Amino acid sequence: MVNRPAGIPEDAEIASTGGFNKFVGPLYRLKDLEDGAVKRFAFAAAEHHMNGSGSVHGGMLMTFMDTSMSRTSRLISDAKGTATVSLTCDFVAPAKLGDVIESRVRVTRRTRTIVFLSCELVCGERVLMVGSGVWKISGTEE
Amino acid sequence: MSAVPEKLAGYRETKLIDPFENFVGPLYETGEKLERRYAFVVDERHVNMRGVIHGGMLMTLADMTMGQAAWDACDRADVVTLNMQSQFIRGARLGEIVEVQPTLTRRTRSILFLRGDFMVGEEIIFSCASLWKILGQD
Repeated sequence: MVNRPAGIPEDAEIASTGGFNKFVGPLYRLKDLEDGAVKRFAFAAAEHHMNGSGSVHGGMLMTFMDTSMSRTSRLISDAKGTATVSLTCDFVAPAKLGDVIESRVRVTRRTRTIVFLSCELVCGERVLMVGSGVWKISGTEE
Repeated sequence: MSAVPEKLAGYRETKLIDPFENFVGPLYETGEKLERRYAFVVDERHVNMRGVIHGGMLMTLADMTMGQAAWDACDRADVVTLNMQSQFIRGARLGEIVEVQPTLTRRTRSILFLRGDFMVGEEIIFSCASLWKILGQD
């Protein structure tokens, strides 16, 4: 048995293995949906993720979205590395302490050098944030 | 509050309220109110495996500094982020200082438009444009 926060499935894999992700984490990877077309990640909102108004800090939500989309860009491109070039986030609704926040990432298009992605953060069926962004596949200068 | 690093002479520590901001901070500032300029030292906590600042940390820094400016712009009324557009132009590395002076592009009764170019030395490494809602204003 692996110890997981309430609401995180037992079979979820740890997705935050080092660096800033580990510092703000733990972040988890959940099972794909729609035959792999939707990649999913999750974290449980803890005290250190909050703002002064009792909601999850926007910086934490954007960090989680960035990590979810970055990881997806690497999973689908088999690239050694990818880098965020642009990300736009709409803050649709707040999240609270203890909420299990899930990301659902879709690939819009992949070219040789670029991946276009979209992402939704949800708590249950409630949408918290929507985002779209552009990732560069490393080692493809031009 | 800890001592201000020597390389940030003239700066003081920004008073942070949000637990997440204290978790990733400190943040430093110089100047007053909307003229405040902010500085952030990249340390071991903020970088990825390649020693480069995490994109999430840059967006957090953007949310923190634009949020301070939003607060200044509406006399400390409650504000929330509506939208943040981020461009990752270059990286910042461990030990580097990232500085920004937020610009208030427009203020309507209920919405603030704030943008910022984040610099390491003379180079822009990250840029953001954000929208903020002033709560209680229709």
